[in-house]
Amino acid sequence: MESISRISSMLETARDLTLEAARDAGSSRRSTSRQLTVPQIKKLLDSRNERDVLEGLRKVIALQYDPHSAIPTLPLFPFVLKTLSNTTSPTVRPLVSIYLQHHAPLDPDTALLSINSIQKLLSHNSPQTRASALKTLSGIRVPVISQIVSLAIKKACGDMSPIVRKAAALACVKCTRLDPGTQKEVEGYLVTLLGDKQYFVAGAAVMAFMQICPDRLDLVHKHYRSLVRKLVDMDDWGQLATLRLMAVYARKCFPRRTRRVKKADPSVNTASSTKGFYDDNEDEDQTGGPENLDQYEELEVPDPDLTLLLQNALPLLQSRNSAVVVGVACLYLYLSPATHLPHAVGPLIALLRGPQDIQQTALYNIVRVCLVYPMLFISYYRHFLFRSSEAPQIWRLKLELLTLIFPHSAKEVQNLILAELSHFAQGNEKGLVRESVRAIGRCAQNSDAKTAARCLALLMQQIHAVDSVLVAEAVSVIRQLIQRDPSAHERTVIRLAKNLDTLTSPQARASIVWLVGEFASSQAGDDVGIAADVLRILVKGYVDEKEEVRGQIVLLAAKIYLHHQNRGNRERKIEDEKFHKDLPKSLPISTMLSPAEEDGSGSRDSAFGPRNGTSSMAPAPASSDAITLLWTHISLLARYTPSYDLRDRTRLFRALLSVPSSTDLASLLLLAPKPVPQAPSPSESRQTLTLGSASLVVGEEGGVAGLMGYEGIPDWVKEGQEPDARLRDDSETAKAEYGSKAVVPAGKKLDDALAGDAVYGSKLDGKHPVKEKTLDDWLAEDETESEEKTDESEEEDEESEEDEETDESESDDAENGLMK
Amino acid sequence: MSAIEALYILDEHNKPTLEHVYTGHPPSASTLLPLYLAHPSPRSSLIYLPSTNPPTLLFSVLQDRLLFFSPCSVDTDPLFVLEFIHRVADALEEFLGSPLLASKIENSYDVVAQVLAEMCDGGSINTTEANVLRDVVETSTWMGKLLGGVGLPSSSPALNASSSAFALQKPSLPPTTLASGTAIPWRRSNVRHTSNELYVDIVETLSVTLAPSGRPLSAFANGSIAFTCKVSGVPELLLTLTTPSGRTGVERSMQLPVFHPCVRLARWREQPGTLSFVPPDGRFVLAGYEVDLLGDQPLTTSNKSKVPNLNLPATVSVQTGLGSYGADFEVRLNISTRFVGNSSGLSSSAMSSLSNNLNRPSASRAASGDAKTPVVENLVVSIPIPPTVRNISDLRPSKGEAHWDPGDGALEWRLAAKEVASVGSAGAVLRCTVVGPAGDEDVEDAAAAGMTNLRVDTYDYDESGAYQSSTPDTNTVTNGKIEKDVGRVKQNAVLMPTSATVSFSVKGWLPSGIKVDSLNLDIRKSKGLGEGVRPYKGVKYLTVSRGGVEARC
Repeated sequence: MESISRISSMLETARDLTLEAARDAGSSRRSTSRQLTVPQIKKLLDSRNERDVLEGLRKVIALQYDPHSAIPTLPLFPFVLKTLSNTTSPTVRPLVSIYLQHHAPLDPDTALLSINSIQKLLSHNSPQTRASALKTLSGIRVPVISQIVSLAIKKACGDMSPIVRKAAALACVKCTRLDPGTQKEVEGYLVTLLGDKQYFVAGAAVMAFMQICPDRLDLVHKHYRSLVRKLVDMDDWGQLATLRLMAVYARKCFPRRTRRVKKADPSVNTASSTKGFYDDNEDEDQTGGPENLDQYEELEVPDPDLTLLLQNALPLLQSRNSAVVVGVACLYLYLSPATHLPHAVGPLIALLRGPQDIQQTALYNIVRVCLVYPMLFISYYRHFLFRSSEAPQIWRLKLELLTLIFPHSAKEVQNLILAELSHFAQGNEKGLVRESVRAIGRCAQNSDAKTAARCLALLMQQIHAVDSVLVAEAVSVIRQLIQRDPSAHERTVIRLAKNLDTLTSPQARASIVWLVGEFASSQAGDDVGIAADVLRILVKGYVDEKEEVRGQIVLLAAKIYLHHQNRGNRERKIEDEKFHKDLPKSLPISTMLSPAEEDGSGSRDSAFGPRNGTSSMAPAPASSDAITLLWTHISLLARYTPSYDLRDRTRLFRALLSVPSSTDLASLLLLAPKPVPQAPSPSESRQTLTLGSASLVVGEEGGVAGLMGYEGIPDWVKEGQEPDARLRDDSETAKAEYGSKAVVPAGKKLDDALAGDAVYGSKLDGKHPVKEKTLDDWLAEDETESEEKTDESEEEDEESEEDEETDESESDDAENGLMK
Repeated sequence: MSAIEALYILDEHNKPTLEHVYTGHPPSASTLLPLYLAHPSPRSSLIYLPSTNPPTLLFSVLQDRLLFFSPCSVDTDPLFVLEFIHRVADALEEFLGSPLLASKIENSYDVVAQVLAEMCDGGSINTTEANVLRDVVETSTWMGKLLGGVGLPSSSPALNASSSAFALQKPSLPPTTLASGTAIPWRRSNVRHTSNELYVDIVETLSVTLAPSGRPLSAFANGSIAFTCKVSGVPELLLTLTTPSGRTGVERSMQLPVFHPCVRLARWREQPGTLSFVPPDGRFVLAGYEVDLLGDQPLTTSNKSKVPNLNLPATVSVQTGLGSYGADFEVRLNISTRFVGNSSGLSSSAMSSLSNNLNRPSASRAASGDAKTPVVENLVVSIPIPPTVRNISDLRPSKGEAHWDPGDGALEWRLAAKEVASVGSAGAVLRCTVVGPAGDEDVEDAAAAGMTNLRVDTYDYDESGAYQSSTPDTNTVTNGKIEKDVGRVKQNAVLMPTSATVSFSVKGWLPSGIKVDSLNLDIRKSKGLGEGVRPYKGVKYLTVSRGGVEARC
């Protein structure tokens, strides 16, 4: 939700605001006349006039906060404290409190002087005063008073006013921070406060609990149900703390009970209405997130207490606080992804309406959920279309979301996404261009062959662009795509090779040359393919190439020569086996060479011949064949290249290839099958991080295990190791004594108060049976749901088996391809 | 669960204005600032600074030109901190008046210090409701004392007072009322107003993306219902919304709503469009929602004739690569005739009539509200220009003024209200000529020409494998002149803008068509409202596009 200040700035005309701002800037910042000297302030503070004292305190606070002030405020400490006892006015107290809390650690002895008068206020008539006194007392950062603070909290825990009890809850945190030794007693106070009837006291208690002892879940059992019921009425921050607590609590206290489902009956077909759920589950299995450790044929049987939590969190999805929405989403993601998570998706998307900072963080969380459950986000694709004016942090994430939902979307949406990506690929911003092209590549690798071909076609178009960044990126993405499935892209390589005539981007050229060497040189067994021809053309322009291209040319030449030698060896073997049969085989390559070039290289080789000839065991006719000539030519060229690296490489290749009969080592080195490159989604590495944590936003920068203080959601507790469920019953029976007052939401309470006492009583009477019945209803719902799900999971079984089969066949294909 | 460690506020010159440390020993604002500035703009709202000791997570929010910092040493939910900062900004604005300025903070450190201390106690967030804060924070000046002593009931603060802290007098409360005040955590206790008023402001922000063909790719209106309540006692309100297609349309058009905690969710779920609530005192955001202006229409690329009509007040389209060298581009602005006044003076008269309507004590004003023509105001077209453009040699707007700032790389074209009125149905046109970077033109030309030739034979890529079928017919390119021009066009294509955005505001009209049907104060259920008091009700609609309509090209 937009903040009111943003809305009001829209409503008020911009002109007024700027006028005021201008006037403000024009006037002198701090009027010097108002700067008082220390003696003047002291005089004000000592005054009998209440107004003067207040004025003096204001000055002191202003001095304390003003970062540009030269006057130290510490010497005024005794004078400020004196005002606390001198005046009876409540107006000075908050100001003194602020001063005291800030200066106490700097001068503990003086601060202790104030303890007495604050303690007096702890038993003041007004609850507001009692609360603020407790707040001040616990805020004095002087460790010696920790026992006094602890006692004060103890007293406040039993206070009549909920305001004071809330202050007590917050004071607990400060008390343990002051002296960790008090933790034990403070935990005792917290137990009392967690069970408080007032929802805002309980909320504050949970906040304190999460800071003091988040591991003491045993303290929560008794209050679990009452806390869950109060969840709706707590303020945003209490809700947030409770959601976080409950996510951990549920994982540790509700074992994941599952029920095995019988083998599917093929005659039972899933209704089309359940298709959505079924798809989600299938997806879950494919991506294999950390949440689905269980087998899909097992069906969740949630604990009724867990269901209560999940149901009570539902209204919070319409909270105006984005942190609460993400908190609920986190709860659903880790506790009940199948049934409840879909409810949280819309509200998560709604966070994108917020200001940019919220939007960015929300997007990180959405990406995190989308990585695991992309199906849920498909209908929101329009929200992920970005605009050119958006900040890089935003479009980067939106781009990722588009590619994540791409494989699952309908044809029209895929068209739209591809059109978007190619639009931004032709933009002006280098980063955006690069990311868009990569995104097209990711779209291609995650979808079926036909769509992948479209993506490839799109990328091929980009090769001719003027923008060199775009071209280089497009080619390297194409390279990755080809590497994933070389057999299907033979023609693509040829097509790319044709572009070598015109392409100027050295990166792109290097990529293409490498591709030619990798996939076109050994084409179809004995056929040399286009590689030799490409090499012949490249050699002519070797001098004008950039270094990275030169390196690739040398590599290409080495590969071709190696293939040539291998072929020769094979032929010789055949010849050896049946040498009576003569095979005057003319190499097809020789026809491609123009006579002039053949002559030229031949003559050069003859000059070079004796040197090579001494070490080479190659038979005499080989030296005249074109490929060998090309290789010697290239190695000679590289020998006189300025780059050390390239010269070294060439030397290595020469040594490797010097003995034509033993090419095993060279083959191992040069023709090793390359691992298929993976282009994971940029946030893939964050997938294990907890939703809603800062580590998720910071990513790798924060370290592998997240930032300091990062805590993941624990695994589900094992069946049998969980605490007894009856522990949670205790509060239930206890609560019956003082009625179900705490269960009534604030709104209802208000209604009741307005309606009058009589109505109030009658409503309460009718409350109990209704409550119990709803619990039964939940159970009933569970059963029906579980029945539905049996069908789904049965279906799923079959589907996944099919998937596996296809996977296997695919991998077989891949292997075959490699063998070739 | 972690804590808010500190809050720093820096003014528009990045000078620390306020530092408030809640717990621990976080690095000071002056330490963090250079590290923050070291990151390239636009900066992320969460920056990890490993170089500080201990490593710090720096959360930052930029609002009203003030920079809010909150450092954290341990992993904290980013939204938790960011939401808190936004609430602080809201609260400060409530106490100091809008807009929030550094000088206002400097002049009232005592109030700011109290607000900050009250909102967060030792790192745990305590009270963020502005109403509760107003109960707790002492702001009374001698002026306020004087007025309070005389017995003049002060009106609600922060509404009529925009700048001075004097407006923050609150009626002095007997301490006993505070206990009962807890019944409604968001409403101040003992509210008293002499004039009882209720205002509903519905603001929708447009976010529309248009394809080059003019077809909308996405069209959203993000709505917020701002509510201003100045009613004594504890009023019980019922706000009913409706759409042109009747009450039933509300659920369909208002998607993904979020509500202020005061709204009874059960009531909304039963009857969408009905908001039943006890409001906080003063101004607050009652609800937020979004409207998908495209509805549930499926994407059909084939059926181009049925382009959904969004009825936008102003749209823009860009044509690039014009002129013989392709160095020109043309931006055409179309303003819907519905939103153009007949005469130049109409815009102001429409405004005044609107404000008249606002004060009329009837909620049914909504219906008559748009009988007056809503007028487009503050019309600005912004065209991002690629950084490679050296100069824009020619700027010819048919109406209004255009200005190019090479620094921020955007071309701005403003039309005053008078000019908007005279645009007419043909639309206004801005034509520009760009000049690319200086360089060896011949080389570039040659390269570009080569590329275009190449394109002839390789553009029609198909997977079927007949890659040699389209024979290169470079021979047919006979005229060298043409070839060169084509090269120039190709070269200039890089310099062309790829989009244009329109910003405007329209009063009295909402793209979603949502209207306030009725706003009722339930006298029976309300408390503390005097006998026979009928509060004034006012409704205002506003549509804002802040670069929200984007056209691609």
